[in-house]
Amino acid sequence: MSIGLFIPCYIDQLYPKVGIATLELLEKLNVQVTYPSGQTCCGQPMANAGYERESLGACQNFVKNFKDFDYVVTPSGSCAYHVKKHYNIMEQTPTTQKVRNNIFELCDFIINVLKIKDVGATFPFRVGLHQSCHGLRGLRLGSCSERVGNHYSYMEDLLQQVKGVRIMPLNRADECCGFGGTFAVTEEAVSIKMGKDKIKDHLNNGVEIITATDMSCLMHLEGLIMRNKQPIKVMHIAEILNSGS
Amino acid sequence: MSHPKLANIFNEDEKKVDWHDKALWFVRHKRDLSAHKVKGWETLREFGHQIKAHTLANLDQYLIEFEKNALSNGIEVHWATNAEEHNKIVHRILKECQAKKVVKSKSMLTEECHLNPFLEERGIEVIDTDLGERIVQLAKESPSHIVLPAIHKNRHEVDDLFQQHLNTKPCNGDPQYLTQKARKHLREKFINADAAITGVNFAIAETGGFVVCTNEGNADMGAHLAPVHIACMGMEKLIPKQDHLGVFLRLLARSATGQPITTYSSHFKTPAKGLKMHIVIVDNGRSEQLGKPDFRASLHCIRCGACMNTCPIYRRSGGHSYNYTIPGPIGSILSPGKDLKKHSSLPFASTLCGSCSDVCPVKIDIHSQLYKWRQIITKEMKQPMLKRKSMKIMGSLFSNPTQFNRFAKFCRWALRNLPKSILYAKPNVWGKSRELPKGPKMSFTEWHQNRENTKRMKNNG
Amino acid sequence: MDSRSQILTKIKANKPEPMDLLHIDPSIFDEGLDVVPAFTKTLEAVGGNVCPIDSMEAVHSKLKTLLPNARFTHSTLENTHEINTFSFDAIERPHDLEDLDILMVKSDLAVAENGAVWIDDSKFPIRVLPFITKHLVFVIEEKAIVPYMHQAYEKIRDFNFGVFISGPSKTADIEQALVIGAQGALSLTVLLLTADTTP
Repeated sequence: MSIGLFIPCYIDQLYPKVGIATLELLEKLNVQVTYPSGQTCCGQPMANAGYERESLGACQNFVKNFKDFDYVVTPSGSCAYHVKKHYNIMEQTPTTQKVRNNIFELCDFIINVLKIKDVGATFPFRVGLHQSCHGLRGLRLGSCSERVGNHYSYMEDLLQQVKGVRIMPLNRADECCGFGGTFAVTEEAVSIKMGKDKIKDHLNNGVEIITATDMSCLMHLEGLIMRNKQPIKVMHIAEILNSGS
Repeated sequence: MSHPKLANIFNEDEKKVDWHDKALWFVRHKRDLSAHKVKGWETLREFGHQIKAHTLANLDQYLIEFEKNALSNGIEVHWATNAEEHNKIVHRILKECQAKKVVKSKSMLTEECHLNPFLEERGIEVIDTDLGERIVQLAKESPSHIVLPAIHKNRHEVDDLFQQHLNTKPCNGDPQYLTQKARKHLREKFINADAAITGVNFAIAETGGFVVCTNEGNADMGAHLAPVHIACMGMEKLIPKQDHLGVFLRLLARSATGQPITTYSSHFKTPAKGLKMHIVIVDNGRSEQLGKPDFRASLHCIRCGACMNTCPIYRRSGGHSYNYTIPGPIGSILSPGKDLKKHSSLPFASTLCGSCSDVCPVKIDIHSQLYKWRQIITKEMKQPMLKRKSMKIMGSLFSNPTQFNRFAKFCRWALRNLPKSILYAKPNVWGKSRELPKGPKMSFTEWHQNRENTKRMKNNG
Repeated sequence: MDSRSQILTKIKANKPEPMDLLHIDPSIFDEGLDVVPAFTKTLEAVGGNVCPIDSMEAVHSKLKTLLPNARFTHSTLENTHEINTFSFDAIERPHDLEDLDILMVKSDLAVAENGAVWIDDSKFPIRVLPFITKHLVFVIEEKAIVPYMHQAYEKIRDFNFGVFISGPSKTADIEQALVIGAQGALSLTVLLLTADTTP
């Protein structure tokens, strides 16, 4: 099986270590991964701001780069969701449909395609799992508190097997962090308040490291943590799954 | 004022934000406890969705059926294309029966139509009889929530208000005492009312009857004591059969407050002997919304308010920041259909987290509709030059990997090297309360390129 | 064109493709509810009281112990006329009922899942009665309790006005603090006739 790795634009540029962890982790799991160098962005920043039409070039570039793979894997629930849900603005050629059907968020891919739960990592810290909304309610990577049904979470499945990790329960298990793309800027006051409340919930529950499937949420939270000099850190889930051993 | 501006003002008092957020989260939590107890909850939601979708697809037929049955029950039926016509009809009925004093139970429709000021200007006293609505009426405000109209007021504010208007004694905000006084005050209003106005939660085509749900009993106190009862309904309140109430009454209160059902679910079918009953069926933009395939599901709404309680933005910006009769997520998809220009900031007052859609008892795809409104708004409303240009530039950068990498490299350099005074200058809204990420020297792409090169050299060497 | 035709024409032009009405099979919601304890528990949770009684004769004494100070009382049940302190015929306007202390009504339908009791105006001659009374007492036989709303609607057919009442009137409009006794009844009691004694 051929796998194309999509590293979201802002991870590529601002958090290369998350990209590296993702790649190393997949290689550790004996997966042959290709990183197409012509990739840029899934188009979400423009689309969520109401400029879907300006994102068409990005979408086309995305499909062009990933059309030949059996799977596209990305360390972002949000980007994977965008490709799945909003690439209907393009002509639905078999190629486009293939890319849309075959894109997977990293945890989803490990659990449901590779069928692996124990990735052999060690991480002796108290971890708070931030449930990034697009992964949770868009891709259904876990059960959410609104819907009635059995509890499940691909992220928890993976973290539970990591040696030393203690997953700390939160008071509000899956409330949004307030990033929301341009929302973080256009609705600055509410965005900041949401972020502050989120961090407080993690701090109150003894969390040392906040982790998530999406670095964008963590970028927002990290910005607040650094400004307010709070005793807590953020790490992408790929970094935790790739740590130790 | 736009949502961000009003939200900003609301956030000046962080304690109040915390209080408001907590109060509504508590309601959301009660909803969870209640919903999670129901076997087949998700199926029930699906049923609710399907029944509403079916009704909308046959709305004209069902309205005709409803009218026919209501008429044969002895109810007078009126049709209003818009708010003004609705107000005129209500006024005409009141004038005909020489009503000067009117009691009104909660009806978001009459709020939408601004019925109160219309009647008051014509010398008719209108008393809102839901306690929360009475509180905001005394405060000369509008409801900030459709189920909890006075959720933005604390007990001390209500205490002050009642001292001023109902001559109560200072009570340190004792809800028991205040409610008791309100009961007494409203009793007198009920006894002396010439007419009662209620909303409609569900109208049933099959029977020509309608259902009104309250916890206080205020709709019934009004409707059964006054000689005339006028029920005002948006035309989307219709459901085909009485049996369908089994689905909706199971969903409504659990979603709204976590109660298994409202205290009173009153089924009106015929007027009581010697009394008059009227129904005003109102369009006011609904048929327009029906014609928009992307947005017609917004007409499924049963006004439970669950999307407000769950919305992290609503909880932290308050209902008044939406500046529309129906605030919160559902208001943000209904209002642009009414006045795109006036409400163009509302679909952006969301992180698209999707909690509203998952909590909605009739499965309205609220967050998807917010996304779709955004696309329309940027096309039809003039956007700030900066936003327009930056989106265009981003669009073209992301279409071209070489350009993107060059530009991004520059940005990383800037993050590392520019002085704080420039990086955190005023236009950087992100940096007002947050640090910017550090600009790493090497991007992932560059790191990967290096690794590939090293591998290749090893293989060649 | 009048408003009615305008609205209907516009709906016709704008409505989506017709779709079938789904058939609802309520059995999928069935979780084998034990209706009597479920009803009792739910009604108590929403602020109501449930008192089991073993015969209709016990209604009287129960009522006396429950609300000893009631002065203005009325029952619509058969053979309970001594409870009545007045006749409805004497009531000229429903407003005259303002001082009613207790109304007692028989109900033939109650719902376990939400503690709601159904009464329609065949059971009470003046519609405002169950709302204006200070205290509301229902007499229900155990066999009248159905598990869910779906089953309740199967039984509800002809009525002019009917209402599900679940607990006493309440409000939480002042800072989310629950207060029992808003505009309607201040208390609600169900006298539950146990099954082995019902004919």
